Amino acid sequence: MAEPVQETLPQPVARKRSVAQGSPSLWYKDAVIYQLHVRAFCDSNNDGIGDFPGLTQKLDYLQDLGIDAIWLMPFFPSPLRDDGYDISDYNAVHPSYGNLDDFKTFLAAAHNRGIRVIVELVLNHTSDQHQWFQEARSSRDNCRRDWYVWSDTDDRYKDARIIFLDTELSNWAWDPVSKSYYWHRFFSHQPDLNYDNPAVFEAMWGVMKFWLDIGVDGFRLDAVPYLVERDGTNCENLPETHAIIKELRRRLDDEYPEKMLLAEANQWPADVSQYFGNGDEFHMAFHFPLMPRIFMAVRLEDRKPIIEILEQTPPIPDTAQWCIFLRNHDELTLEMVTDVERDYMYDEYAKDKSMRINLGIRRRLAPMMDNDRRRIQLLNVLLMSMPGTPIIYYGDEIGMGDNIYLGDRNGVRTPMQWNGGWNAGFSGADPERLYSPLISNPVYGYQGINVEAQKRVPHSLLSWMKRLINVRKSTKVFSRGSIEFLRPANHRVLAYVRQFGDEKILVVNNLSSSAQAVELDLHQHKGNIPIEMSGRNLFPRIGELPYLLTLGPYESYGFRLRQL
Amino acid sequence: MAEDSFLTDDLLRQLISVGEVDLLVGVPSRNNADTIGHTVEAIEESFQHAFPRQRVVIVNVDCGSNDGTIDLFLNSSGRKNASSRGITSLRTEHRVVARYENATQATVLRTIAATGDLLRARACAVVSAATSNLTADWVGNLLQPVYRQDFDFVAPLYARQRFDGLLARLVLYPITRAVFGKRIREIQSGEFGFSGRLATNCTTSDMWREPSIQDLPQACMTVTAIASGYRCCQSYLGPRLRPVAAQTPDIVTAVRQAVGALFWCVNAYEDYWMGHSANDTVPSFGPDHELTDDPVTVNLERLFELFRSGVAELSPLLKTILAPDTYAEVQRLAACDERKLCFENMLWARTVYDFAASYHHTLLNRDHLVQALVPLYRGKTYSFFLQHAASTAADIEADSENLCLEFEKQRVHFMERWKSQTEVST
Repeated sequence: MAEPVQETLPQPVARKRSVAQGSPSLWYKDAVIYQLHVRAFCDSNNDGIGDFPGLTQKLDYLQDLGIDAIWLMPFFPSPLRDDGYDISDYNAVHPSYGNLDDFKTFLAAAHNRGIRVIVELVLNHTSDQHQWFQEARSSRDNCRRDWYVWSDTDDRYKDARIIFLDTELSNWAWDPVSKSYYWHRFFSHQPDLNYDNPAVFEAMWGVMKFWLDIGVDGFRLDAVPYLVERDGTNCENLPETHAIIKELRRRLDDEYPEKMLLAEANQWPADVSQYFGNGDEFHMAFHFPLMPRIFMAVRLEDRKPIIEILEQTPPIPDTAQWCIFLRNHDELTLEMVTDVERDYMYDEYAKDKSMRINLGIRRRLAPMMDNDRRRIQLLNVLLMSMPGTPIIYYGDEIGMGDNIYLGDRNGVRTPMQWNGGWNAGFSGADPERLYSPLISNPVYGYQGINVEAQKRVPHSLLSWMKRLINVRKSTKVFSRGSIEFLRPANHRVLAYVRQFGDEKILVVNNLSSSAQAVELDLHQHKGNIPIEMSGRNLFPRIGELPYLLTLGPYESYGFRLRQL
Repeated sequence: MAEDSFLTDDLLRQLISVGEVDLLVGVPSRNNADTIGHTVEAIEESFQHAFPRQRVVIVNVDCGSNDGTIDLFLNSSGRKNASSRGITSLRTEHRVVARYENATQATVLRTIAATGDLLRARACAVVSAATSNLTADWVGNLLQPVYRQDFDFVAPLYARQRFDGLLARLVLYPITRAVFGKRIREIQSGEFGFSGRLATNCTTSDMWREPSIQDLPQACMTVTAIASGYRCCQSYLGPRLRPVAAQTPDIVTAVRQAVGALFWCVNAYEDYWMGHSANDTVPSFGPDHELTDDPVTVNLERLFELFRSGVAELSPLLKTILAPDTYAEVQRLAACDERKLCFENMLWARTVYDFAASYHHTLLNRDHLVQALVPLYRGKTYSFFLQHAASTAADIEADSENLCLEFEKQRVHFMERWKSQTEVST
């Protein structure tokens, strides 16, 4: 939104200083979530790898930023062949990141600052190094044999697509130990668990209880559509999978109220919405198709992709919420777009083939926006003002760059840039020892793009993000309100009215690189006075005539509409 | 002195919202409620399939419809978003309307060209709202050569019934080819494409005020493109259905409008063709134009009678227009046995050229002059029917080629007549 005048900033909303029992339910709807990998955030013991003590040291920064919850990427013991999504022990902490006590210390410190913690859990598969799989493959007679999906042939479930097209030729892999095929929807070193076996479900519920008893506030459950396989189907979103989720939710509500389940289901909205059930499955789910369309709309300078996908999004139960994001640790997925749209995205955002992986683009927000501050801000305004709970990927709040020459998705998983000093303040280790090279190029390098530098400047991206988060949290309209799109003739302007109870907010965004005039039909809000949310300036009262606004390139306004 | 604005404020307001576009399709209309929905559907289907990334707008220039044409244009659903996961245009597909009560076709076309100019469209097309068999391919075939291959003017090619389009076959095409040196078959069609550059050029031209082109201004754009050195091409569209009788002008009107506009162009672009004797083919996309054998009914007896009586009635006028030997030959034809009438190509070329030269020199009302060509055109048409009653399409094409060659051969005669200072007295 427009750069606010410093003196007229709204005062920060009084924050709860701890996460206590009895805090309001539906907290996840009002939250701003910050996604990070402990490995990438801060290294306390100078071994070149981030850890929980380091993360704990940085909680003040996150509290100051204004976020409400941290989503931790997998931190469990793992051979790390898929960045921790190949878990070999669910009930421990990877030794590189500390130990269980370090985690508990971090969790308590986060809760003391009013920050909840969501942990990642991979239900669908384990690492092939997990004890369960080692036992299962050791003998066809082993009691854990049936914990995975085995077959003597590789021709079952032929209708299931291969997800990692760049690396996998089949969803079956040959196990030379037990001389049979095992099923895997992702990498071949990630065998799928067999949820037809009740013992698997109980084991995974046991894992969840373990972490819930420690005090985590929710789970981001990875790859949920693929839990169950059936012949003659595409093995996604099956009723049996939903039954498993319902049972997990039932137990969660019974034993751990206030805890939250977030679904990772990269599907079309109509399919994902099934995972909300009747309010008895997931609390939240990612809205995957919206994200690429936000990028598309800005490049097209046309609101159509955003409105189109949100119009295709079915209503969800009152207690449910979409999770929305701009970038995350994975590639910017282009699975939920048409071929035409995918080609366009590749051409516009990933001309260099090394920017592409699987069906997506492995780049961070700032480089995708050509480091254009106005566009970065516009996208963040959209993120914060659209229906759903926003997730900020670590480093995007300062405009960190990426390194497309690192393998896999590692180019967007580089160390957090805290200052312009030794290893960007991330670690005291020798630079060569870091788990990943720092971003050091002249445009995005840590010497210029870092937290310390931006904290000193009131108009830095970081300072602006803090104000934006503050505006977002100043009302429940953004987190819980309805949305009504206005359709001015100027297609480069995306305008909508969010409403929750009597409170109404008008958001107007110029998606184009040039100044725009727009006439908004606001006759339904006749008599209201628009009050710009950043600077609290009054605008002329809304009357019968179309409301004329002019917006600079990529400019946004948020107006409270007040009937006074 | 301030010039009257031909673009309405309402249209300008709509254009402000549309902003810059890549593609523009203009749809002139007047009481086309029966077909305009289909037209919009075909255009948007073309956008979605061939130009999903481009910024697009459809401009309906309506001349006083009272049958709901405009509402249908604005509200027809088209085929967009048939499937959320299927092919669809990535961008907003704009529709804007320019409303006129009694605008001429010149104003309509100028409005479309000016809109293309203001919106900085790279490629524009005009399609007729009356064309009931318009398809998405037609629109694409008009836009693609401009947008993708940098042409500036795209004339259509159609599949026609072999006796359809005789005015183009016997007059317009031979003159265009022989005088302007470009083998463009259809210079007066309701469908054509053009570049933003050409739109800009035409928008600022003085030609739009010329009375001779008010009803059929397309030829002027064609000739402007040729004479200004723009890259021209032809693109095959498909079968051209004969318009229903109510929408077809009578032959007198057709000749007055089409030939009058072309003669005006010949006059206006004298400097170009006088110094330009080349005769070039232009690139064509898709099949060449085709002839079909659909049945056609012609009252030959009446046609001949109108030829003979017309020549007799207009004899004094024809005597001043035509060269003496041409005049004598025409008189001989009018007196001959109708079963033996043969209007030779050389005679026809000289006749048309004499009219064009007289148009240049005359103090006579030019409309009247052009209308005096009608009986002779009927004679040529009659002769054409007699000659080709049993001809194959190839025979007809061969004869058309011979006619064009004759026009080229007689170009010297034409230039002599053009340069002569003889004026036709009233």
